[in-house]
Amino acid sequence: MVTPCSGSQPWPPSFSRSPASGLLIAAVAAFFAWFGVSIIVLADGRRGLAVGLAVSAAGLAAIAWQDGDGVAALIVLGGGAAAAVLRYRAGPGGWMLMPPGSTARLILCVAGGLVGLWFAASVTIGPDVATRFAVLSVIGMSGARIVSSREPSSVVTAVATLALATAVATHLGAGSAGLAPYVAAALIAAGALLVPVRVANVP
Amino acid sequence: MSPDLATCLPLLIAGAATLGLAVAMSPARVSRRTLLARGGTGLAGLIAIAAAPSLDLLVLSLLVLAVLHAALPGKRDFASRLQMPVVAVVLVAVALLFVRVQGPEMLQRFAAVGLAAGLAACVGLLPYIHVLEPEDTAVVSPTVWIGFVGPVAATAILIRVRGLLSPDAGTDLGAILIGLGLVNMLWGTLAAWRAEDSTRAWHYSFMADWGLALCGFGLTVADGQAAALLILVSIVFGRLPLYLASRQALRENQSADRPINLMVAAVLAGSAPFAGFAARVLLLRGATQMYWPLALVLVAGMLLWLPVSLRLGRTLGQPRGRQALGVGIVIAANAVVGLYPLPLLALGGR
Amino acid sequence: MPSLAVLAPIVIPLVAAAVITAFGLARVDLGRIACAFGAWGSVAALLVVWLSVRSTQQLHLGPLGFGSSLLLRIDAVGFAFGLIVTVPAAVLLSLQPRTWQEATVAIVGVAAAVTAVEAGGVVLTALAGGTAATLAVVQLDTEDVKAPRPSWGVLLGAWLALSWAGVIFEVGAGTDGFSAVPVASLTVPVFALIAVAALGASGLFPWRSWPSQLWSRPSLRAAGMSVATLYPLGFYLLVREYEFGDGRYPQPALNVVLAGLGVAVALGAAIRAQGAANRREFLGEVIPGFGGFALMTIALGTPLGLVAGLLSLATAGALTACLALLPDRSGLPSLVAIAAAVGLPPGLAFGARVLGLESTFEAGNSIGLIGLAGAATWVVWVAAAARAVGLPAGRGHAVAETFPRIALAIAAATIVAGPALAAFQSSFADPAQGEVMTGSAAGSVAGGLVTVETVSTVLPALTLFIPLVAMAVLVYAFAATAPVRGQARPALFTMPGRETSARLWAAIRAARLPEQYRSVVDLRAIEPAAAGGHAVLWLAALAALVFAVTR
Repeated sequence: MVTPCSGSQPWPPSFSRSPASGLLIAAVAAFFAWFGVSIIVLADGRRGLAVGLAVSAAGLAAIAWQDGDGVAALIVLGGGAAAAVLRYRAGPGGWMLMPPGSTARLILCVAGGLVGLWFAASVTIGPDVATRFAVLSVIGMSGARIVSSREPSSVVTAVATLALATAVATHLGAGSAGLAPYVAAALIAAGALLVPVRVANVP
Repeated sequence: MSPDLATCLPLLIAGAATLGLAVAMSPARVSRRTLLARGGTGLAGLIAIAAAPSLDLLVLSLLVLAVLHAALPGKRDFASRLQMPVVAVVLVAVALLFVRVQGPEMLQRFAAVGLAAGLAACVGLLPYIHVLEPEDTAVVSPTVWIGFVGPVAATAILIRVRGLLSPDAGTDLGAILIGLGLVNMLWGTLAAWRAEDSTRAWHYSFMADWGLALCGFGLTVADGQAAALLILVSIVFGRLPLYLASRQALRENQSADRPINLMVAAVLAGSAPFAGFAARVLLLRGATQMYWPLALVLVAGMLLWLPVSLRLGRTLGQPRGRQALGVGIVIAANAVVGLYPLPLLALGGR
Repeated sequence: MPSLAVLAPIVIPLVAAAVITAFGLARVDLGRIACAFGAWGSVAALLVVWLSVRSTQQLHLGPLGFGSSLLLRIDAVGFAFGLIVTVPAAVLLSLQPRTWQEATVAIVGVAAAVTAVEAGGVVLTALAGGTAATLAVVQLDTEDVKAPRPSWGVLLGAWLALSWAGVIFEVGAGTDGFSAVPVASLTVPVFALIAVAALGASGLFPWRSWPSQLWSRPSLRAAGMSVATLYPLGFYLLVREYEFGDGRYPQPALNVVLAGLGVAVALGAAIRAQGAANRREFLGEVIPGFGGFALMTIALGTPLGLVAGLLSLATAGALTACLALLPDRSGLPSLVAIAAAVGLPPGLAFGARVLGLESTFEAGNSIGLIGLAGAATWVVWVAAAARAVGLPAGRGHAVAETFPRIALAIAAATIVAGPALAAFQSSFADPAQGEVMTGSAAGSVAGGLVTVETVSTVLPALTLFIPLVAMAVLVYAFAATAPVRGQARPALFTMPGRETSARLWAAIRAARLPEQYRSVVDLRAIEPAAAGGHAVLWLAALAALVFAVTR
């Protein structure tokens, strides 16, 4: 983007930035990923779930962008956005954020973040701290949400997040995994919300 | 064809054959088109799992199958049916994460734990048993995981992790698999013997067979792997179609003691000349090479199959028409594989 | 003779089974014709293949996939045991009526048993023997699910144990071939494993087990076939163990133990026979009695003992067919069958037992005491037979499946064939003994068609037994022509402590865990906890695994 000015240098389109700002962006992205999945854990209404899914997807997309794969990031973002829109349009009404009895969920969010942080920053070494944190916390917390919930909307939303995080985690492996995992995850994220879930035949 | 896909090929063929038999043997009240559609979807999922170029895609394929399976109408709600497969996905995904990151050696071992636990959760073995509702149809029940999806998924996962874990972690994985295998063998046989409900008895009998398969996977020699493959094939194209054939008699509470019931009992017990016996011989070979007391434990455990198998054989009732033909085909195929397993093993790259 | 001919004794019965099945599915019952063709065809093939060359014929068809090859061979041992299995089976299949399903299972069982004796390796023998056992159980249960049958668990365990032994050979020695396994591979534990398999496969126990229980079934069609095909296989394994060990067992003590067990088996059968309530019960102990004597002599480790054991087994095979065709009523057939069974002179049974006891005395040391016990056991048998003459006949069997004249002919043949003992020994048993005892085993058996020459004596079978036969015929001719009628006598003795042991056994079977401890091992209570989908269990299991790998 070129900003007309007098005598100042335009911002190069290659988006080169200092390592410090890269770390900051990664940290913010990881926080968004964690924050998004925390909202999914704490919310029961479709608005809350949609926002949580969107925030988490944005965070994960930013992580993927930071890891150097712009196309993958766009795919993650696109899949997450589509899933969020679909969630916003169907499910229990309202936000239903932190309904009564959510203490355990809140503790899960905090503990999940702390454990993820400890793992990413202390137990493991090397770059991609943010990626490790984001992936571990999102996978763990979305899994916990699925196991502990009986409401199909929140379960499916957590499935979408889980898929996106699994795809982003491929960056941590040696060698390039290609775009296939990201495409698959995006399709799963959107497709899961399209699967018709019926109520159980409870006598 | 990639080596990984080739290893799963016998299981895929067995799965397709079982699906065909299931459609052919299905009672009139079941829509064959629906059965074929659902089974075909499952088979497509299996192919995707087997052909997945990486563990990540494999895990994502599992997640798709889990969601689709949980969405089928059944007695239990969507969320509770999705639980255990998601636990499996999470455990395997976290294990993969531990494998990939740089850190202490202990992380590799935790990864081994995660993979073994994830595998057990995916299939539905102790301590990650999928909850079973006896009134559910077979397509909706956890039998799909333990008898249809599980064999391909487990084989595909274990092939792909071979090069990922460190030698120590690989040894740990093998030991965990053997431990889980022995536990499931014991639990499966005893629970199947003592279960009041015959549907549960069948389900636990699958677990007992899986116990043997896990022991085979845990023995890192070629004979152990070959034994595991044979056992899984005997599950997919032995135990599973026989269970499906017995569903009607189970619902009507019929039992019979005719020759065909005894032959079925022999197939289920792993008696000569069926596939289970050849698998047991291979397993004993592997155990003798690695650690002979394990072979002693395995021989003792194998004898527990008999009372269970006699019980399950009776629950087949008196199959007639296409059902009898299907059962005959399964018995004959198991006998052929049991007498001459070499082509099947060669097909699987063993 | 092309090596493919080795397949003939196996393929012919299988072809017959296929034909029976095909016609049966088309609702055409071929009756006994196809069965007879298949079974006698197997016998004929064995005779042709062996007698034409009188040396080992072998066929190797490549690996099977579980570590063993499809290696089949007919040597002297295979020939001997092949005949022991197929001839009685052929007689029964030719005479007794069966449905086409029963006939198919029976004749495939014969093929499996023949494969077991033709197999060139231990694992293949285990596979084939296990198949024969499975088919025998299916036959028995198909005929009458409530009647006694062998414990499938014991049979399966026996053949599994044998397959494990074969696997140990493969792993340790690189092969499980009978003629290829190095002598050093036959260690005492492996020997014990094979011996346990042999004893379990043939039900060679001092207590009443399936070889005697089967004879109490209402119908003896499946029982006769099961005993004919399964019973000899355990002895086959014990004979092959000599081949592994180059003519001997790994330790002399093993010979003593097995021989002692053989006497115990024979004595147990004799004790039960003398206390039998009816003649069928007595006759039901005949085959175990023969088996005990055969085990005693085969286990001695001497050529004469092995020869005597093989002759006992051959006679037992013939009597298996006889007993299965014998009706439960008084008359000459029963009388002659009892005489043949107990080993009255000059029958084959008599000659085999004489040679067997001779072999124990020649072996010397403690084995001589075993011989004394064997002699005492034989005395008990004779007393039991005398008592059995006066016993009531038994529950009776369907007329269609009994053939008193054929049974009489078989029993009489085993008595009249006594003078041909030497011929049987030299043509049938000696080659088998020579096949497995090629090393320097103590003693030797010589002689020709007329005499049996041992280390210490010469038994002029022909010249001694023919006058005995003549005397027996004259005695019977001049005696009253009416059938011998005896009166029922009480048992000679009852085993001390029998009631006590029966009460103890009943108490053990009725034992239950005390009420207050049942919840600990109540699977039905544990099941909901394990299978109820509780996250606590999953986490606990995960934690346990993590703990385990950190140690």
